[in-house]
Amino acid sequence: MKRSSIWQKNIAMNIVLGFFIGILLMYLLLLGLFIDKLLEEISPDNAPVVVFNGILIYYFSFEFVIRFLVQALPTLNIETYLHLPIKKSAIVHFVAGKSIFAIGNYLALLVVIPFAFKVVAPEYSLFHAWVYIFTFLTLVYSNNFLATYVKRQLVHKPIIVGLFGMMVIVFVLLDYFSVFSLSSWFALFIDEILKSPVLFFVPVLLMIITYLFNYYFLKDRLYPDEVTVKKQAKVDSLSDIRYLKNLGLTGQLISLDLRLIWRHKRTRSIIYMAPIFLGYGFFFYLMPEYREMYGFLIFVGIFMSGGMMLNYLNYCFGYESNYFDNILVNYKDFEKYIRTKFIFGIVISSVCYILTIPYMFFGMDILLINSMTFLYNIGFLSYVLFYIATYSKKRMDLSRGAVFNYQGMGASHWLSMLPAFLLPVIIYLPFNWAGYPITGLIFIGVLGIAGLLFNKFLLIIVYKQFLRRKYMMAEGFRE
Amino acid sequence: MLQAPCSRHLANNIKNTKMIDVKNLTKSYSGTTVLNIADLTINKGESFGLVGNNGAGKTTFFRLALDLIRANTGNVSINEEDVSKSGNWKYYTGSYLDQRFLIDFLTPEEYFDFLRNIHGLSKGDLERFYENFGIFFNDEILGKKKYIRDLSKGNQQKVGIAAALMTQPELLILDEPFNGLDPTTQIRLKNLLNDMKEQNGTTFMISSHDLKHVTEVCDRITILEKGKIIHDLKTSTDTLKELENYFAV
Repeated sequence: MKRSSIWQKNIAMNIVLGFFIGILLMYLLLLGLFIDKLLEEISPDNAPVVVFNGILIYYFSFEFVIRFLVQALPTLNIETYLHLPIKKSAIVHFVAGKSIFAIGNYLALLVVIPFAFKVVAPEYSLFHAWVYIFTFLTLVYSNNFLATYVKRQLVHKPIIVGLFGMMVIVFVLLDYFSVFSLSSWFALFIDEILKSPVLFFVPVLLMIITYLFNYYFLKDRLYPDEVTVKKQAKVDSLSDIRYLKNLGLTGQLISLDLRLIWRHKRTRSIIYMAPIFLGYGFFFYLMPEYREMYGFLIFVGIFMSGGMMLNYLNYCFGYESNYFDNILVNYKDFEKYIRTKFIFGIVISSVCYILTIPYMFFGMDILLINSMTFLYNIGFLSYVLFYIATYSKKRMDLSRGAVFNYQGMGASHWLSMLPAFLLPVIIYLPFNWAGYPITGLIFIGVLGIAGLLFNKFLLIIVYKQFLRRKYMMAEGFRE
Repeated sequence: MLQAPCSRHLANNIKNTKMIDVKNLTKSYSGTTVLNIADLTINKGESFGLVGNNGAGKTTFFRLALDLIRANTGNVSINEEDVSKSGNWKYYTGSYLDQRFLIDFLTPEEYFDFLRNIHGLSKGDLERFYENFGIFFNDEILGKKKYIRDLSKGNQQKVGIAAALMTQPELLILDEPFNGLDPTTQIRLKNLLNDMKEQNGTTFMISSHDLKHVTEVCDRITILEKGKIIHDLKTSTDTLKELENYFAV
């Protein structure tokens, strides 16, 4: 009996994705082949290898952030295997080590391998080139294990993630004020490995340590009952929100969603991420290079008021996948259900927007950008996210505790929404080139207002789509 | 345990109003037909039991009746309205198929209160419900300050069944309701169901693996095998024997 349907999901989307990935791979390879020329251009006084090593730490930091945001954590339903004659350590090794097979680990090799053979080999030897490649690879693995470990802790013990973040900030500050420069030490160390390859054992050691972090983290949480005993939470009193009670069915549904978000670790950690979304602005408004790049600041605006909304609207059916059958059987008015979700999404976006208003101290133009992108978010992006949400078919098991459970954080989901994020910039750029940047910004807002004016009509489209898709969603959620 | 009195059943038959009407219903997954019911009528007030081995199509049939999956051909009508076209059946149908019917991050009280609002019942209705179900809950459900997800499987099942009965529905659809309940609760559930039948004339659709329970609650029993109804019996004193003979292969 065939009930799985991953492959027939959406052929068109797969083709588009495949095309983008193909281009990306080609670019990487080209970059690898010609990066020495690029490095000579940037810094003609130093050998390309030294410059390249200097960049590595930034690359790994970037990679870490990307991994943290996008990489899906390896999962395994451990209970199924516990009673089988498999050594427990073998199960844990499998789960802990699985992530090295993620394709993302090997993308950067497209750059490093050509570089090693073309630049490192002539300068040192072929042997050194291989050492260089393997040093890089072990560092990628270490980074991978570190990122998976931190991400695991995100759901389990957010405080560790906070400490880790603070540590990173401390190192960045120390570097910035030239007290202690981790980046140059790191670069020197890689140079050193090339001089005496014996030092290769250091990255290997690093890899083993980060791996063991994962290993013991998972091993400690092997027995499902012990994990659940710890989190037998006290019942909160979220059901007593008077104001929502007066809103009738809409209020009931919103209060249900609030409780859903608050009572699951997975969703609650998204709330903890709110300061990151809202703090985006600081990074870019402070940097003079970006301060005048409106095209870029539009992105910032979209993420600040739209990031949290995205996390809600885009997964709203997936979040309810555990009791979707209940919804189908009990809710009589799906139109209201859809409208309530939409309203809640807009409320979330509005709260985020209000919190970003103080950024106007960096300039009134920033307030204008953020206001226009906010209008775009609630009047256009919202519908797109909501519409895409009806394609979710994967059960998100929010109730099974946090360990061994991290679904629905894959990359394809984000890629499918890319056009909606790009649109405002595409609208803006022609106006900018013609010399009317402000008009361009206002146009973005106008699009949002138009969307809000046609709210009834657009929501009916989503509603009809929901009616079409509900069987498919329910079937997927049951798997 | 007493057999249900036949009088009400007959009275409903005379009115001859159909509660459920199934026509040419088929459901298949990639070529394999898992359900095929050409014609089936369940009258108002009838208690309809469905028995069959695993994979016979019982749950599939119930899901089709509740518009949770789409039929390949044919349809199920409740009160002469196709369930996939009109949602009116939701106003008088209570159902519990499996854990997916529970909102497990709520406490039982929150869950009942939520359903109360969804179905537009009054606070008084809820109080009465708590009174009537006090014995059934056996002090294991209410006032425990626990989320449904932290209850045992059996107690979760109790919450789900009680929620289905809460609205005093005219039609009640339960999939394996006796499964996972302790013996005392099984008997209490039987009493509850028989009371509902007598007092409200509720129509039942109940599936069960337990032949004894189902014969005690239902006055009509059908056997489903490989998606087809192969026997349709009026419950009598011999029914249990007949069923046991059939399944003892």
